[in-house]
Amino acid sequence: MTAMPVIETKTSTKVSVRNLDFYYGQSHALKKISLPLYTNKVTAFIGPSGCGKSTLLRVLNRMYDLYPRQRAEGEVLLDGENILDPGIDLNLLRSRVGMVFQKPTPFPMSIYDNIAFGIRLYEKLSRSEMDGRVEAALRGAALWDEVRDKLTSSGLGLSGGQQQRLCIARSVAIQPEVILFDEPCSALDPISTAKIEELIDELSERYTIAIVTHNMQQAARVSDFTAFMYLGDLVEFGETNTLFTAPQNKKTQDYITGRFG
Amino acid sequence: MNVGFNRQTRDDSVSDLAIVAAQPRAAEVERGKVLRRMALFDFFFHNLTRSAAILVLLILGGVIFSLIYGSLPAIRAFGLGFLTTESWNPVTEKFGAVAPIYGTLVTSAIAMLIAVPLGLGIAIFLTELCPHALRRPIGVAIELLAGIPSIIYGIWGLFVLAPFLQQHVQPALISLTGDIPVLSSLFAGPPYGIGMLTAGFILAIMVLPFITSISRDVFDTVPPVLKEAASGVGCTTWEVMRYVVIPYTRVGVIGGVMLGLGRALGETMAVTFVIGNAHRVSASLLAPGTTISATIANEFTEAVGDVYTSALIELGLILFVITFFVLAAARFMLMRIEQKSGA
Repeated sequence: MTAMPVIETKTSTKVSVRNLDFYYGQSHALKKISLPLYTNKVTAFIGPSGCGKSTLLRVLNRMYDLYPRQRAEGEVLLDGENILDPGIDLNLLRSRVGMVFQKPTPFPMSIYDNIAFGIRLYEKLSRSEMDGRVEAALRGAALWDEVRDKLTSSGLGLSGGQQQRLCIARSVAIQPEVILFDEPCSALDPISTAKIEELIDELSERYTIAIVTHNMQQAARVSDFTAFMYLGDLVEFGETNTLFTAPQNKKTQDYITGRFG
Repeated sequence: MNVGFNRQTRDDSVSDLAIVAAQPRAAEVERGKVLRRMALFDFFFHNLTRSAAILVLLILGGVIFSLIYGSLPAIRAFGLGFLTTESWNPVTEKFGAVAPIYGTLVTSAIAMLIAVPLGLGIAIFLTELCPHALRRPIGVAIELLAGIPSIIYGIWGLFVLAPFLQQHVQPALISLTGDIPVLSSLFAGPPYGIGMLTAGFILAIMVLPFITSISRDVFDTVPPVLKEAASGVGCTTWEVMRYVVIPYTRVGVIGGVMLGLGRALGETMAVTFVIGNAHRVSASLLAPGTTISATIANEFTEAVGDVYTSALIELGLILFVITFFVLAAARFMLMRIEQKSGA
C-alpha cells in the first residue's frame, strides 16, 4: 500500500478517488484506494484477476448500485462532486460516465436505434438532427463506412468487433465526460483490437478514459497513466512510461515482467 | 472387422502404443461386441423417440377426425347458419353458436386485459425491484395460485366474488359510467353479480400465474451485462425493462401470454359457475352469458337427440379452430416483429 501517489500535474484532475473501500457482502474487495484520473488522459488499470480493477471501474459510475449487498465507502469526486453521495442522480451520473463492457452488448434493436436510443433519453431531436448525431457517433467509432447501408438492420447481426465499436459509438453519442472500458478487447481478434485501440487514442482528445486490461502491451500502448493493483490494493500508480520502464515496487516489476499473475 | 489392418497402422503411427497393441485381439473383439450393442440400443432409442413424436400427430389427428365426424349431423342440419344464429333452443332443436362464441371471446379478452399488465408488472417487480427476502415467498404464492383446482375458483367466484361484485363494484360501475356513451352500454343493466365481467375476473386470476411465472423466468435469462449497459447509458429501471429486457425476451413473454390465453379460452368449470349460462348476446358485460366450454359442460348430460349432441360437438370443433387461429396469429405476429427488428 502506497501513500497517495504524487504526480507532477500537467493537467487537471477529472475524477479523484479518495480512500475508497468496497465490499461485496463481507468480502473486502478494494482497500483504501486513492488515485486521480486526469482530464483527457487514458488511465490503464492492470493486475491479476480478482485484484479489484473491474470493481473500481464499476464504482466510478455506481454500476454496483444495481445489486444488493455491494457497498462503497470513501469519496469519489467527479469535478469535485462526490458521486458516492446517496442523493446523486444515478441516471445523470451514468450519462456523464459512459461504460463499454468486456463483451459487446448491443441492444436488441436496429443499429440506428442502438445509437439513437441513448440520445432520446435526454434530448428531443428532429429526425435530421438525430440522423446527424447518429452518423457523427458512428464515424467517431470508425464504424460508419461499414454500416451506412444497413442502419435499419439489427445490431446483433454485426461481427464481434463491429458490435464493440457500436457500443463505443453508443457511449460517445450521449456525449459523456468520462468513458470506462472494462477489458474492451478481450473477446476480439487482433485486427478489431487494433481498431479499438486506435479509437481509444482518438477519443482521449475529447474524453477522460479509464481502461481495465489484462494485456500489458495494450496498457503500454494506449495509456498515459497506469495503475497496478493487487488483491484489492493499489500497489503503484504513475505515468505509463515510468511504470513500465522503472517500476518503484517489486511486485509491479514482477508482474510486468511476467513473473506472476 | 479387420483387426490386422488396425494393428498395422497403430504400430506404424504410434510407437508408444506398441505395448498395448501387442495383445489387441481379445480386446478388439470385445470392443466390437460393445459397439454392436450400442448400435442396437441407439436404433431402439431413435425409434422410440420417433414413435413418441408420431403418436402426438396421431392423437391430434384422431381428435380432429372425431370432432368433425361427431359434428356432421349438426353441420348438415344448420350449415354455416350455425355460426350466425343466436338462438339456442333444445325444444325445437334449432341451434346457433353466436352466443357461446361471443362469450368465449369476450371473457378471454377481459381476462387478458387484466392479467397481461398485472402479470408483467409482477414479473418485473420480482426480477428487478423486489428485496431478495420477498422474492421466494411471492414467487411461490404465484405458483400456488396456478395449483388451485378450477372447481375451487368456481365456488369461490360464485359464493364470494360474485356477491361482492354485485353489492360493491357493479353498482358503482353502473352509476359512474351512466352518462358516458359507449361505457354506459358496456356496464348497463341490473347488477346480477354473475355474468361475463365476473367470469373475466375469475379467468384473469387463473391465467395470472402462467403469465407471471413464464415472464419472470424469461426476464431472468437476460444477461446482467445487457441490463448494465442499458443502465450505463442512463436508463431508468422502467426504460431498461421497456426498451431492452422486454424486446430481448418478447418471444418468451408472448409465449407465456398465449399459454394464458389458451387456458382462458378453454377454461370450463370456474366459468360455468359464474357466467350465468344464458344463450344471449348482450352488449353489457354485466349481463349473464355463456362460453363454448361452459355450454358443453352444462348441457352434455341433458343432450337428447343426435342433433343436440352433434351441435355441442360442433361447438367443440369451433373452440378447437379458434384456439388454433389464436396460436397461428401469435406465431405470425412474432414473425412480423422479428422481421421488423431484423433479428
